[in-house]
Amino acid sequence: MPLLLFVPVALIAACGLIYELIAGTLASYLLGDSVFQFSTVIGSYLFAMGVGSYLSRYIARGLVARFVSIELMVALVGGFSSAALFLAFAYTQGFRLILYALVMIIGVLVGLEIPLLMRILKSRLEFKELVAHVLTFDYLGALAASLLFPILLVPKLGMVRSAVLFGMINAAVALWSMFLFREQLGARVLLRAASVLVLATLGVGMAGAERITEAADNSLYADEVIFARDTRYQRLVLTKWKDDVRLFLNAHLQFSSRDEYRYHEALVHPGLASLAGARRVLVLGGGDGLAVREILKYPTVESITLVDLDPDMTRLFSTHVYLSTLNQHSLTNPRVHVINADAFPWLDQNTGSFDFVVVDFPDPTSYSLGKLYTTAFYRLLARHLSAQGLVVVQGTSPLFARQSYWCIVETLKQAGLRTYPYHVYVPSFGEWGFVLASLAPYEAPMRLPAGLRFLSVHDVPELFRFPNDMLPVDAEPNRLNDQVLVRYYERDWREIAH
Amino acid sequence: MSRAADTGARGSLETVRPRARTGRWTRRNFLGFALIGLAPKTQRAIIGGFADDGHGPGHALRDHSQFPSARRTMKIPVVIVGGGIAGLSAAWRLDKRGFRDFVLLEMHGQAGGNARWGENEITAYPWAAHYVPVPGKTTALVRELFEELGVLRNGVWDDRYLCFSPQERLFLHGRWQEGIEPAVGSTARDREDFSRFGDCIRQFRATGEFTIPMDLGAKPSQLDRLSIAAWLRQERFTSRYLYWYINYACRDDYGALAGDTSAWAGIHYFASRDPEEKGPLTWPEGNGWISRKLLAKLEHYVRTGTMAHRIRREGNRLQVSAGDTDYLADFVIFAAPSFLASHLSDDAPAIPNFVYSPWLTANITLDRLPRAQGMETAWDNVIYDSPALGYVVATHQSLRTHEDRSVWTFYWSLAEGPPAANRRLLLEYDWDWWKAAILADLERAHPDIRNCVSRIDILRLGHAMARPVVGFLESQERRNLINSRGNLLFANADLSGFSIFEEAQYRGIQAAERVLARLGR
Repeated sequence: MPLLLFVPVALIAACGLIYELIAGTLASYLLGDSVFQFSTVIGSYLFAMGVGSYLSRYIARGLVARFVSIELMVALVGGFSSAALFLAFAYTQGFRLILYALVMIIGVLVGLEIPLLMRILKSRLEFKELVAHVLTFDYLGALAASLLFPILLVPKLGMVRSAVLFGMINAAVALWSMFLFREQLGARVLLRAASVLVLATLGVGMAGAERITEAADNSLYADEVIFARDTRYQRLVLTKWKDDVRLFLNAHLQFSSRDEYRYHEALVHPGLASLAGARRVLVLGGGDGLAVREILKYPTVESITLVDLDPDMTRLFSTHVYLSTLNQHSLTNPRVHVINADAFPWLDQNTGSFDFVVVDFPDPTSYSLGKLYTTAFYRLLARHLSAQGLVVVQGTSPLFARQSYWCIVETLKQAGLRTYPYHVYVPSFGEWGFVLASLAPYEAPMRLPAGLRFLSVHDVPELFRFPNDMLPVDAEPNRLNDQVLVRYYERDWREIAH
Repeated sequence: MSRAADTGARGSLETVRPRARTGRWTRRNFLGFALIGLAPKTQRAIIGGFADDGHGPGHALRDHSQFPSARRTMKIPVVIVGGGIAGLSAAWRLDKRGFRDFVLLEMHGQAGGNARWGENEITAYPWAAHYVPVPGKTTALVRELFEELGVLRNGVWDDRYLCFSPQERLFLHGRWQEGIEPAVGSTARDREDFSRFGDCIRQFRATGEFTIPMDLGAKPSQLDRLSIAAWLRQERFTSRYLYWYINYACRDDYGALAGDTSAWAGIHYFASRDPEEKGPLTWPEGNGWISRKLLAKLEHYVRTGTMAHRIRREGNRLQVSAGDTDYLADFVIFAAPSFLASHLSDDAPAIPNFVYSPWLTANITLDRLPRAQGMETAWDNVIYDSPALGYVVATHQSLRTHEDRSVWTFYWSLAEGPPAANRRLLLEYDWDWWKAAILADLERAHPDIRNCVSRIDILRLGHAMARPVVGFLESQERRNLINSRGNLLFANADLSGFSIFEEAQYRGIQAAERVLARLGR
């Protein structure tokens, strides 16, 4: 009998802790700076629990009915807290306000639970027994929750469903209490109906978790969304699955932390390592700082200018604990100058020449982006290139978007540059293409910086060999007034999709 | 099918009524939502007004009002009346030939005529004409000008000035499609008609009769004796999409319905051009860019805000009264719209059969861009079955990949109904009425447009362009103006029957050449 009384204590303790963990985790995922987020979430949550405990003195009669209704409220608010936070982040400017409001509401409600429960139980047990048992089960529940959350819940269920599951547990506790204390409670049809309704709502919420997260873009991404923001320029989404973090810009994959080193080593080193003593480097796009991380491996490089449109992107990759570790704090390196500007007008309005230029723009999915792949753009780029300088252009997949890739090569040629196309296999992307372009002839490097994970000197010439299914095909050059590339690209990928 | 040609522009002025505002936010619920950052963008005030359209001084001229008498007289060999493209081109030619004894009188505060422009904190924008098709090899004068202005270098067109992709889109069946030829929901019959029409145009082009400037190829033609709509029927075209498309082209280029446009002129629109490069040429301020460049060279000849109000014969000379000066000129090049001449001079022929189309253009400043379904924003954006002509994006030639703000130039040729009645409407309705009509039209394609627009500036052009009505090609009035032998020479594009840059430039230069020849230069 005592066990039946005290299991609900453990359960509600677990629920309370889970909501707190969810709020803390979401806040650090979405806003970064996890120490600050966890501290403030835990602090305000505990404070709210204190408020709840204090308020419990004002509840005089009908303790069981009040307890049951509080459970139902926690079930609803806590159960949907995760979904609410995702949606709030995606659709409102007031995420922090909603976060702390939710934390306070749940905290107050949870703070009411234990004092009320102890008062309900006080007639059944001696005071010292009561305190000992309630607190023991309370802490046991907390332990169970804190272990389950990272090991089982987040990886298996995800944030939205974990919250809903624990909401259902709160509702079950409500039902269980109604059964246990039926003599004290009497026949409360309304309360019973409410419990069933809450449980059903949460059940629907569980089944529709996919739908809920779809609204927050989750459905697009296979993994848990840990960060999503509509910046002035794009929708920026980070997902995480175990140790794999992926960045999506407008739903297009930019990198996976598991294999991005292949992409970025291949992007930078075949070109930069072949230049003896390159001093001035320009990176267009690449606000993730990963190409810059590779460029910083060259001591001769005196200055790296990174031009990326989106200040939110470069700020995120400068300050976010995980992301700035991934790029080895490249964006805050004193050799690096971050400029938030649109690349084409920036090049047009600035003089200055560079020994090595990395052009790492999103794929030409629209005519606006397609401007950055035109003869006019490459001609302008050539004017910013030192005599021995090299440009490397990310050029989509020569396998999946074959004509698009060779169109980019042709466009560089039309702009008066020599071209050296190459490709590399990046598991999360598939076969990926790059083009080196220059005014002077290019020769593969004799040595590479130490410590590369993927590339070695004797492998570099291999990259320039194309197997039969990626060999050149005819393509028109892409011009500002006739952007064939955008049409090629759309057709190439549509064929893949079928 | 007999009235098919008229279906394209079904919405007359009267159907585009301003719509009452709905949806109100109380202060309290606004504050409540604002606190948590959930407030939707509320309806905002849109400001603006009518731009200087010069109808005040114009009507004073028509009504033979009293003008102050001149305080000085000035002898000058040549006076050019009108500072649009025709007048500026005449000046450009005279100057280029080393002839410098002339003035150009422009009634507006800003020269340029239909190639005027404006500018705000976002971008420069056109007030009317906004492009020039890439000239073919035979359009030598336009090429000469563009070489001088650096648009054409060593046979290569500067790609900053060639219209960027995507050039055109059409809002049809609830979404934007690429290109203006309607494709969404087209049947095999539609496609067959479009393809056959294309074949006809190729045959017409091969005749060499349809040239730019039109003077070089035009000869008496049966095609001038029926409308383009009648010709389509005669050739047994039935596609509703094709009729819409041709009607749109006529409204867009001539300010006229297909049922009013000469078939010769309608075909000329399609058959006269065979560009060597995908165009057209365009600039943020439209053809204002050309005006600007020409004015930079010719500034010291130009007297803006100076309306010629009287041209009187004085012996062998012509006395042109404008502002505080009487100019005694050997020759007057009349580059303003030709119908004005008879208000100024008793010698000038009346040309009652010249028809002029009234237009309205509006520059719409958007401080945020509206949402849209389908294809991304193009340079020219047309709404199917709208009474207006759509809008052109002034920031389209920007090198940026991302725009937060823009200016759209909205075009509306009042083609349906008698031009004189439409001119009256143009003046009768106030700015609020036109603002509401413009927004109601755009709202079909952009439901949230009202939340994006911060100002609308409207230009009313009572006589925007000559209309190539049935019979214009062989009209005696047109011939008389072209061949006028006195020292009053006509130079407006209306001599060609339609108002396009190439014709205006050609007529201006022709007049200049004739003056130079008669002056023995």
